[in-house]
Amino acid sequence: MSLAPSEPAPATAAPAGRGTTDRPGRTRPDRRRLLTRTSVPYLLIMPAVLGFAIFKAYPIVASLWISLTTGNGAGRHFTGLDNYQRLLNDPLFWTALKNTALILVVQVPLMLGLALLVALGLDSTKVWLRPLWRLGVFVPSLTGLVAAGVMFSVILNRDAGLLNWVLSLFGIDRVNWLGSPFWARVGVVLVITWHYTGYNAVIYLAGLQGIPQELYEAAKVDGAGPVRRFVSLTLPQLRPILLLTVVLSTIGTLQLFDEPYVLTGGGPDNATLTVTMYLYNNGFKYFDFGYASALAYALALIVAVLGFLQVRLMGERK
Amino acid sequence: MSHQLSRRRLLQLATASVAGLGLTACGDNGSGSAGDDGDSGRITVWSWTTAAKGLRSVVPSFERDNPGIEVDVQDVGNPAIWDKITVGLASGGKGLADVLHIGVDYLPGYLDKFPDGIADLSRLGADTYEDAFAKGLWPTVMGKDKAAHALPWEVNPLGLFYRHDHFEKAGVDPDGIGDWNDMIAAGSKILDATGVRLLGLDKTGATQDMDFFQNLMQLQDVFYFDQDGKITLASPAAVEALTLIKRLNDAGLIADTAGQGTEKRLLGQGKLATYAEAAWAVEYLASTFPEQKGKWRSMQPPAAVPGGRRNAIVNSTYLAVSGSSTRRRAAWRFIEYALTEPARINRMFASGGVFPALKAAYDDPRFSAPHPFYGGQKVLKPFVASLSADARPTNFTGDYARALKFASDAQSQVLIKGADPADALKKAAEQLAQQTGRQQAV
Amino acid sequence: MKRRSVLFTLLLAGAFGLCVGPFYWLAMAATQKNSDVFSWPPKLLPGGHLMENLQGLQDSIGLTRVLFNTVLVAGVQTAGAVVVSVLAGYAFAKFEFRGRNLFFVLLLSTLVLPDTVMLIPIFEMMMKLGLIDSYQSVILPGLVTPFGIFLMRQALRSMPDELLDAARVDGAGELRVLWRIVIPVNRPVIAALALFVFLGGWNQFVWPLIALRSPDMYTLPVATATLQGLATTNYAQVLLAAAIAAIPVMALFLVLQRQFISGLLAGATKE
Repeated sequence: MSLAPSEPAPATAAPAGRGTTDRPGRTRPDRRRLLTRTSVPYLLIMPAVLGFAIFKAYPIVASLWISLTTGNGAGRHFTGLDNYQRLLNDPLFWTALKNTALILVVQVPLMLGLALLVALGLDSTKVWLRPLWRLGVFVPSLTGLVAAGVMFSVILNRDAGLLNWVLSLFGIDRVNWLGSPFWARVGVVLVITWHYTGYNAVIYLAGLQGIPQELYEAAKVDGAGPVRRFVSLTLPQLRPILLLTVVLSTIGTLQLFDEPYVLTGGGPDNATLTVTMYLYNNGFKYFDFGYASALAYALALIVAVLGFLQVRLMGERK
Repeated sequence: MSHQLSRRRLLQLATASVAGLGLTACGDNGSGSAGDDGDSGRITVWSWTTAAKGLRSVVPSFERDNPGIEVDVQDVGNPAIWDKITVGLASGGKGLADVLHIGVDYLPGYLDKFPDGIADLSRLGADTYEDAFAKGLWPTVMGKDKAAHALPWEVNPLGLFYRHDHFEKAGVDPDGIGDWNDMIAAGSKILDATGVRLLGLDKTGATQDMDFFQNLMQLQDVFYFDQDGKITLASPAAVEALTLIKRLNDAGLIADTAGQGTEKRLLGQGKLATYAEAAWAVEYLASTFPEQKGKWRSMQPPAAVPGGRRNAIVNSTYLAVSGSSTRRRAAWRFIEYALTEPARINRMFASGGVFPALKAAYDDPRFSAPHPFYGGQKVLKPFVASLSADARPTNFTGDYARALKFASDAQSQVLIKGADPADALKKAAEQLAQQTGRQQAV
Repeated sequence: MKRRSVLFTLLLAGAFGLCVGPFYWLAMAATQKNSDVFSWPPKLLPGGHLMENLQGLQDSIGLTRVLFNTVLVAGVQTAGAVVVSVLAGYAFAKFEFRGRNLFFVLLLSTLVLPDTVMLIPIFEMMMKLGLIDSYQSVILPGLVTPFGIFLMRQALRSMPDELLDAARVDGAGELRVLWRIVIPVNRPVIAALALFVFLGGWNQFVWPLIALRSPDMYTLPVATATLQGLATTNYAQVLLAAAIAAIPVMALFLVLQRQFISGLLAGATKE
């Protein structure tokens, strides 16, 4: 889901906080001008600071406060940790968390594995028409989630959907994609995988093309076969980019909303209810803002912890 | 004015503007405007689609009879209107219209959560009409203050539409069906004779359309909540209703309508033998499937249990005045004008298809006229008859949306996973109690 | 010499088919009669009901108005976000100032925080400001994009300082340097950023769904979503709406794909 327009991932992690190597400009105060070397940077970042304060910093702090309250409008009052208490005792929250974790564990490795395979293919000089394939696999990631959701709700239709028809050509019986708890989960995983595999593949492709060719030549001279070269050369070289995609995909999946919202409504019997969907229902169907905010913070906490663990685990070996 | 903006000055400016916006955002203006009893000027009305069209048809004569009042009817769209009213009420009446068209599934929640949001109409004379509307409706307009806050406009009595041709082929006599036990027996006969299933239901619950389950409860004078707002989702009657649905399913009589457009497609292909719907479906079926002319009939809904009642009100809609309106008296005059006079309300029925709640309206010949789509049957008659019978009000409360969700989950568990209806409803009722803080009725 | 592999090529062609196939089906389905959308086997050739479905969409959601809203929202958001990002990116890349690193870290850390945390406060803020159901309510929160600022910073850092200093020595003011040197030199990256932001604005769904209330304010994704699931829904029309949402963006991408992909990779190549 996305509040602001979705932001494509930067292809490398930000070197945040690192001291700049840029030469500072000469400070030559010029009293005739409003825009001096000293004031200019502040003027330049002013819009960003304002927007950040209003639409990022304030909401983050405010929702922490809201999560400690109950009631609406004038009737809102402080209830301490009641919402968090309620959350721990709410079976639907745990169901949603379990579903989200399940999708995460199955979908992220599947998608990133496929993306890496596609990237290797796109990088291989043995393949004809590479630009065309690259274009094709990237195209799904341009599609908005509503368009994709509408499209797949019909493609996955049990009686008359495209997918079941294609399967029938191979003699496979009709699958009740969105109607059974198991297949509904599979369907959601399929659609997310369709949506983002190409995007990740293109990021990997950039990483692959950034590996110096000499390294491969040297490995060949040492007698390393293709599999060996992949395991001991390609993968280590790709590690920063792999880490980035793992972290971003994890964040994305933990916040999963659009696909179940459009495809299944969270059903059947909550099989595809995600934390963000449950949050949405509480906030905007039941107008229970306090509880929805508590859900949001619980989710933020989980994202932060998981992200931190991933960076520690995968970044450590370097 | 300084030509050089110092850093300090810039920071001050930035902080001040952020603080300013923050204050506006944090400032508590939940109180909103107090409203006033103005008797003239321009009033706005929020409604949706065909109902809005119906309301517009009475505006010219109203404006002629009430000089000094102008009426602007806006089609806000349904379901957009609910969010729009809710947001307006939550922000203290900001931006609300003077007259609001509200459904029974929302009205109690509004009265409950926003006590000053909807104007007191008893004060303006609404109590005169207490007995003018179909039975069971008046209690739903009462707030906790024991005052009326709306006038009923539309009522949707439950009916049962059936495919005359399928029934005939299977040798089923509709007059011999008194309750849903009879209907299950008939359904099996029809399935054997024609291969057509008795009815469609969204087994996955994606649409959360629980009307059928609700109707089976209402036929036993029970709903998710009792009149005190206590939870009755696990009551014997609710279990009875869900068990009936399970029996229908076990007998193979339910076609799964999950998925985009499935129900409409099945109806169009003649694969559903009945359609358990309210009065609005009279024209829906006739206009959507004109090629099925002559094949449909309607009857009073079978009772849920042997000897039980055979009438229920599926839902109803109302016109209310927002508490923040500054022209409350003018707004009330429009509501009174539009909803309490048979000729006008029937004109709106004709142009908007809104089935009237006003009892006096049923004397009109149109309610006993034969309908060609239904083989010349006087199709509206059973609906009117069911409204004249005794009917219990339904308490939707402010937590209807949550109750709907849990009931829908329970039904999916029964239909998809073969869960036991009593267990599933017990679990649902417990969750509903946990989430809403309401007690379960014992 | 290079040996081409038929097997590898076929595998990639298969992946291509899986990715693009659904779009082909969508384009075909959008031209069918409503009753033919759910036919078996699916219709895979053009159906000749395109104009009729377009007219139907015009009647049901007010297609032209909805498209106008979508273009307006995405367009204004793009212009605003690009300005904010270029200005801030330039400051981060080429100036030393107090609080720079702190703010940059704060900005980027919001990339890791779920947007959902911010949904409710922004909703309440908009409600109290009376902006719910306005274009502003949708446009404003999208103006600060941490990714955009990050992208511009990365790109502008690689500009030689000498270029800027030379202009300053010639007496050009700071705004002039920005306008005459920085922007022209970085036009491709700015174009890529604009495309990113436009895509995001064109496709954004959850926030507009919450912020917009009346049908004549809806953007295309919101209008499409509300069309679904009613008894009276015409699926040929819904699918046409989805196609209208998906296909122009793909065309835009085809035209600008070089900038787009290089923009996407800017972070990788500029480091």
